[in-house]
Amino acid sequence: MSQVAESLASRLAELVGAGRVHTGPKSLAAYEVDGRRPSAALLPSSVAEVAEILCFASAERLAVIPIGGRTHLHIGMPPHRYDLALDVSALNRVLAYEPHDLTLGVEPGITYAELDRNLREKGQFLPLAPPFAERATLGGIVAAAADTPVRYAHGTAKDLLLGAEFVTGEGVISKSGGRVVKNVTGYDLHKLLIGSLGTLAVITRLNFRTFPLPPLQRMFVATFADPLGAMAFCRAIMQSPLQPRVVDVLNPRAAGLFAAYSGGNLGRDSWLAVVEAAGHEKVLERHARDLASMSREAQAAEFIALDEDQREHLFGCLCEFSPIAFGATSAATVFRIAALPSALPALLEETRKLAARHALDCAILIRALGVVYLALLPPANPEAYPELVNCSRELMTFCVTSGVAPMIERCPLEIKNALDIWPPPGTEQEITQRLKHVFDPHRILAPGRFRGGI
Amino acid sequence: MQRTIIRELERLLGSSGVLSSPEDLLLYEYDGSVEEAGPDAIVFPRRKQDVVEIVKLANRYDLSIVGRGAGTGLSGGALAREGGIVLAFSRMNHILEIDAENQRAVVEPGVVNLDLSRAAEKYGLYFAPDPSSQKSCTIGGNVSENSGGPHTLAYGVTSNHVTGLEVVMPDAKVIRLGGRAMETPGYDLTGLMIGSEGTFALVTEVTVRLLRLPEDVRTLLAIYDSLGDATDSVVDITARGIIPAACEMLDGWTLRAVEAYVHAGFPLDSAAVLLMEVEGVREAAETQADEIIEVCRRHNAREVRRARDARERALLWKGRKEAFGAVGRVSPSYYVLDGVIPRTKLTPTLLRIEEIAKRYGFVIGNIFHAGDGNLHPLILFDHRDRDQFRRARAAGAEIMQLCVEMGGTLTGEHGVGMEKNELMPLMFTETDLDLMRKVRAAFNPVGRLNPGKVLPLGKGCGETRLQPFPQSAGGNA
Repeated sequence: MSQVAESLASRLAELVGAGRVHTGPKSLAAYEVDGRRPSAALLPSSVAEVAEILCFASAERLAVIPIGGRTHLHIGMPPHRYDLALDVSALNRVLAYEPHDLTLGVEPGITYAELDRNLREKGQFLPLAPPFAERATLGGIVAAAADTPVRYAHGTAKDLLLGAEFVTGEGVISKSGGRVVKNVTGYDLHKLLIGSLGTLAVITRLNFRTFPLPPLQRMFVATFADPLGAMAFCRAIMQSPLQPRVVDVLNPRAAGLFAAYSGGNLGRDSWLAVVEAAGHEKVLERHARDLASMSREAQAAEFIALDEDQREHLFGCLCEFSPIAFGATSAATVFRIAALPSALPALLEETRKLAARHALDCAILIRALGVVYLALLPPANPEAYPELVNCSRELMTFCVTSGVAPMIERCPLEIKNALDIWPPPGTEQEITQRLKHVFDPHRILAPGRFRGGI
Repeated sequence: MQRTIIRELERLLGSSGVLSSPEDLLLYEYDGSVEEAGPDAIVFPRRKQDVVEIVKLANRYDLSIVGRGAGTGLSGGALAREGGIVLAFSRMNHILEIDAENQRAVVEPGVVNLDLSRAAEKYGLYFAPDPSSQKSCTIGGNVSENSGGPHTLAYGVTSNHVTGLEVVMPDAKVIRLGGRAMETPGYDLTGLMIGSEGTFALVTEVTVRLLRLPEDVRTLLAIYDSLGDATDSVVDITARGIIPAACEMLDGWTLRAVEAYVHAGFPLDSAAVLLMEVEGVREAAETQADEIIEVCRRHNAREVRRARDARERALLWKGRKEAFGAVGRVSPSYYVLDGVIPRTKLTPTLLRIEEIAKRYGFVIGNIFHAGDGNLHPLILFDHRDRDQFRRARAAGAEIMQLCVEMGGTLTGEHGVGMEKNELMPLMFTETDLDLMRKVRAAFNPVGRLNPGKVLPLGKGCGETRLQPFPQSAGGNA
């Protein structure tokens, strides 16, 4: 270790205790972000320590990336600077849980799976089921705006987060919102943290509303020869009185990936519409009946109800779409594109053309008829990168010009070096920068990772 | 206000677009709250460009601007606390588009809440937030206040239903936040803007999500001899996994006042009524209604009525929706409070409110969204008696303090405005408030937009200094 590094390590040890500062290359490798390794990783054990670390970092102008379960660190541009990894995984308590009020307060480092076990004991859940549930932390899920199949019914963190406590880039502990399900007191600063990738503040507490577990749930799969049939089926669901929890569509390649992943036998050559309903038996029967008839009208080849094991498995696959694509090839480039239902056919057609022109395989998941996950799957060798870069760039341009909102959620570093994973900033850029300055005036929090170079 | 400024405004908007006579100004000194503050002029833009020009003019003459929808707000949000211009959006009231396929509507801020739902009805759609004032309040006002309503228990408040905004910033630049799609990469500026009470920017266009009208609605009225049994029912219903679309409660005093006026059929000797609604697919509504009836009976409801048709449903709701009007008949004035508590704390909180009422010598009626713990105590007083007014406010502040103490918040849907800005330290530390001040300054650096609202006024302005309760709000600090 160099003298500089040694003196830094000892100063950091004063803040959090020597056992909670890592500087060895082996431990630091785990904190790499886009190939950059920090000089030290810190594991604070209290909010006060988080604040002290950020005060120190701010004074020393050290760049800090807040880190939870390390499951979503692939999102964002490579950091401009990266000195300290601030690992919040030791802040992992449930601070308040009032089952009868359906409210919850947690520290950021608790994993989704751990929390879910706590809630299930009381017959409740938090509808944020993310990828990597065993490792993903609530702080990370919020900061990365991780998505979930049940958003069709429950929305996203924006709809579930009641309030938060956080520490700004100057080490100031602050909070907004509240702990009750309804509240309009003060400015909703916590909303800014959702999807902010740690560029504004380090989250130290999150308050959510919870939901009762449904008595029963059932998953249905309809198979279609082409995307238009699957879309028509989903639109019919949207326009019906039915209230499913999940409405996801898979293209044949995605279905094939899931089949390979699960060893199952989901139709490999078909587009699949996956619908999950929840409620009492009568409600499920009604969904089964109506969905079957809607699937016939949309010319489905098949319509089946899954058994509970299959359901759990497929639900897991839907959660894990991006990692499964990444498992197929480490060069997987996954777009997350928010589009209105009416824009989907054109987007799918353009994707088909682009993928064909660049000879790239493409797995697609359309979530809740509103967010498209599109994974370009090149062979994992650098020779494929130029095609991948070109295809990604053209797709990005198509999205931006046709008014849908794209970003690249995961891709090889070579792609990030060649193009921006974010769409170009819009008229909101000036206020965005001013807000960044309010929260993090010295630009020490995850600098360069966010949209618009923030 | 100088004659030249009025003339300049008239050149911009036509003489019918500007009001400045003393009698006109008087009308704009009020909104739905007990607050008063008068502007120097009221202007009525018809299009975005008018708003831009008004902002430029205000910048030139260093005038403040207060946006106003229908003036139904209950915290003084639309009052010109420091004079200046009231910018009334009532003529920017066009529904620009209903995109039924994508379940979106694009509207100008002055569109009346209920008009949007009516226009969407032919597509089987509606706009979910339904404040009691929905016949007159505007979508722009709903955005500013992040309005709720009885049905927010299941469907959420305004911020859950807005995907995009166009706003005019205090420097007269027009910017777009969010969009039509479900999400936008970047900070959630739409979410931040909603509920900022007109202190960040002026909203000129709103893109909202429309929901499908439910197939079936079941409306139930449960009548109780004890308030405690009614509140226990509420807790038990949610404990069983039922989230009603609405769950409203009237206490004994209020239901008697309402009955005398509306004749909704509330028994005069009862202690509380619970009005509940479940909706969705027929099978779900049916099962949930049965379960709710069972829970209410178990908690000693003396009677549970089911509305058999739309007429009966309307009658049951009439008692709730016209409750404020009914109270208006029996008291010269009333002060509607708005506080939130965890729903499990309903009974102790109501007892404490009764104590406060006795101590101050007021009648306090309670009517509230029981399902989400959103209380609306009504303090009856005579505003002509300044001492009564002062004491009513003091009693109100005490009830707010109680809500925060119970782990709740200062406002669930009416906003902070100029009613509660000095109470903010009950929930937030000086550091929290300072960050909020800086965020406001990032949008509105010289405080031109809606000055004197939301946050406590600066030191030396006679503001009350209150200690926050450590267990309140977001943090555990």
